[in-house]
Amino acid sequence: MSAGALLRRVAAVRTPDGAVLHAVVDGSDDAPVTLVLAHGWTLAQAAWDDVAELVTPRVAAGELRLIRYDQRGHGRSTWRSPTSPGHASEVAELAIDQLGADLGELIDQLAPTGPVVLAGHSMGGMTIMCLAAARAELFGERVRGVALVSTSAGDLAPAGKTAAERLQLKLTPGVVTVAISAARTLERMRRLLPPTNPRHQKLVRELLYGADATDEMVIAGAEIMHASTVRAFAAFYPALGRHDKRRHLTALRNVPVEILVGDSDQLTPQRHSRQLAEALPDAALHVAERTGHMLPQERAQLVAEAIERLLVAATAGRAAA
Amino acid sequence: MTSTLETHPTDSGRPAGAVREVSVAIIGSGFAGLGMAIALERRGQTDFVVLERADDVGGTWRDNTYPGAACDVQSNLYSFSFAQNPDWGRSYSEQPEIQAYLQATADRFDVRRHCVFGADVTAARWDDAAQRWLVSTTAGEFRARVLISAAGALADPACPDIPGLDTFAGTVMHSARWNSSHDLTGERVAVIGTGASAVQLVPAIQPIVASIAVYQRTPAWVVPRTDHPVQPWTRRLYRLVPGLQNAIRGFLYLFREFLVIGMAKNRRFLEPVERLAKAHLHRQVRDPKLRRALTPDYTIGCKRILISNDYFPAVAAPNAELVTAGLAEIRPHSVVTTDGVERPTETIVLATGFHVTDLPIAGKIRGRDGRTLADVWSHGMGSNRSTAVAGFPNLFLLVGPNVGVGHTSMVYMIESQVAYVDDALKTMDAEGLAVLETTLEAQEAWRSLIARKSRGTVWLAGGCASWYLDRHGHNTTLWPDFTFRFRKLTRTLDRENYVGIPAGTQHPEVAA
Ligand SMILES: Cc1cc2nc3c(=O)[nH]c(=O)nc-3n(C[C@H](O)[C@H](O)[C@H](O)COP(=O)(O)OP(=O)(O)OC[C@H]3O[C@@H](n4cnc5c(N)ncnc54)[C@H](O)[C@@H]3O)c2cc1C
Repeated sequence: MSAGALLRRVAAVRTPDGAVLHAVVDGSDDAPVTLVLAHGWTLAQAAWDDVAELVTPRVAAGELRLIRYDQRGHGRSTWRSPTSPGHASEVAELAIDQLGADLGELIDQLAPTGPVVLAGHSMGGMTIMCLAAARAELFGERVRGVALVSTSAGDLAPAGKTAAERLQLKLTPGVVTVAISAARTLERMRRLLPPTNPRHQKLVRELLYGADATDEMVIAGAEIMHASTVRAFAAFYPALGRHDKRRHLTALRNVPVEILVGDSDQLTPQRHSRQLAEALPDAALHVAERTGHMLPQERAQLVAEAIERLLVAATAGRAAA
Repeated sequence: MTSTLETHPTDSGRPAGAVREVSVAIIGSGFAGLGMAIALERRGQTDFVVLERADDVGGTWRDNTYPGAACDVQSNLYSFSFAQNPDWGRSYSEQPEIQAYLQATADRFDVRRHCVFGADVTAARWDDAAQRWLVSTTAGEFRARVLISAAGALADPACPDIPGLDTFAGTVMHSARWNSSHDLTGERVAVIGTGASAVQLVPAIQPIVASIAVYQRTPAWVVPRTDHPVQPWTRRLYRLVPGLQNAIRGFLYLFREFLVIGMAKNRRFLEPVERLAKAHLHRQVRDPKLRRALTPDYTIGCKRILISNDYFPAVAAPNAELVTAGLAEIRPHSVVTTDGVERPTETIVLATGFHVTDLPIAGKIRGRDGRTLADVWSHGMGSNRSTAVAGFPNLFLLVGPNVGVGHTSMVYMIESQVAYVDDALKTMDAEGLAVLETTLEAQEAWRSLIARKSRGTVWLAGGCASWYLDRHGHNTTLWPDFTFRFRKLTRTLDRENYVGIPAGTQHPEVAA
């Protein structure tokens, strides 16, 4: 690679069931380590932009290859191919395990060799746990480090007999189908409140962000979410509720893990990260103050530092091996 | 580098020396050259040649073979009025069908026998003593009483001046010089430009390439395309009911002419069109960031309005990327933008348009005082009725300055001009004139007419830089009014604006 320029290519990763995942690969193919960033529910790879910018000097220096991608049904990535069997029922039976399989496929196709560090935010963290549960052999030899940001190993429904729990129980597949068919109506309603609308932003801020978040962060986040489909919202909602990998985390004990969470996260409150830290005694846990669910935006520096520690460990391990 | 940028290979295998004498020489065999040839042939004037640098008729529709090439005006309107085709397969035909139509029309009116293919006109000089045009071509020399240039306004591909383009190790091709033997399947492709050709070819190649980066300087307004197959019963009806296709053509013509009200008269009338384009973008692109990048900052109509239903989905596809950073340089295996990002690339497609305000043919035609048309036009392309130029006797231009239209069929303008030139030729014959030449006064009157009509139009006041304007910011390419007004002004020769020299003398007549 010639000096001064940052290599970038777009890759479309086709999964065995015909979904096409949009990935952006930055850096040279012979960089010593690859970082893969997995985003959260109703977001897209752009949610990682601030962190990506902080690690870009490493990419430009040839020390790192960075892969950002859109999870299926999010951003530019498609759902299962319409011609593949079971297309119609995809939404109803969708599990986060599918996202774990997608991540595995992406690693196989875009980073078939060399050390890899994975970072997942929210549903992206769950994606990594699912991959660890399904393909434990990857962790240690290939995957050399994992950052779990604002995420959970399961039990997402709050304890107690709240309305949300009752709603979750109601979200049987039948109800989901109805939710999808109502998608158009919902979507039209959402259009009435564009991300530039102050009421829209207030909603987003209260749900996702902590006290220190700037308006720019909230607008950027609202825009990314605005771009996602109601279908992605509805399809993954029950899947998130069903996600439970609390007893399948053993593979993650083989690699350094950094766990990060905001103290005012409402979607995946602190206790989820503490649970993770208990299950992974060697992992480092960081609780960021005055911070909500959007850690990669709100505390990009903190997240980037955790990732850099993992990158250093991953390549040091290789040098020693 | 393998490249398709050069013009057609020229064939100079013919014996030089012998000069062929003809009454009329026509340069080019596109819609304009063919239309002119057919007009002459139909009235029994058979002493003419059509000089064509390529090896077939068709012009634009012979050259633009890129995937997805099609017309943007309904075929019922974008065709000769005297040669309607009841068999169009789609409302907006694709390139192969239009080319087949032009070939069939050339055969039907038996003008192919007048065509000299492989005849690239390299120079044309007015010999004042002999009162003849001396035309040098790669297929020999010709002497003609009258020269008609129908060399096309969108015939010579413009290649952007990007540092390093010539060092590129992969394939470079211009949309108008497509290399169909080069397979793009699985390649990393860069498309430079987002004009009318790009909007057609990007969705056509996106599904087969590994990845596609679309390099955009200025976004275009895009409205939905109402394309549909023509039903067999409709075709039968066209054959059975005389005048039906003409009526539809007339309706399409009128409908499109309404756009002129917004573009040239009162821009308020463009607002609904702009709303339509915005809604189209909104429906097809969800990501607000991408949407912003695709939203023009100028009034709709300032640049050519594009029509497409699959362009936006193609640039938002999983294997696509819209790049808005400027081009910095091209390296042997990559394209680098000004933000320092380098994208590995195997094929570069230049969808960068044509030499429009600097027509190459103008540099080849020399008038009475030895200066080329390009010299005379260095301060802007001047003419009388967009067709004749003072100092260039017996020369007529088809699709010259200020004939262009973006909202309707160019064939309407071409047929208007053909009728005008034909009337000029008939006038020369009737009056026994050897020479016919327009005046500077007529040119000045035409210039100020165009300037007056252009004032306040969307092309000048819409807030964009387009290929419609020359480097001085003057409109020298578009007809800035209703097209029926152009037809009215060119219905017959404005004899008062010409000076004639009777055959057998060297002296102009006493002012007409
Ligand atoms: C991709 C594309 C799509 C278009 N779609 C539309 C549309 O939908 N509607 C519309 O109205 N218009 C459209 N146009 C504009 C189109 O160019 C005109 O409609 C029309 O085809 C022009 O015909 P012409 O005969 O003036 O020029 P051309 O078709 O360009 O023909 C010029 C001919 O002159 C020859 N020639 C040039 N220089 C020389 C020389 N020195 N010596 C010998 N021969 C020479 C060329 O080889 C060519 O054959 C489109 C143009 C392009 C490029």
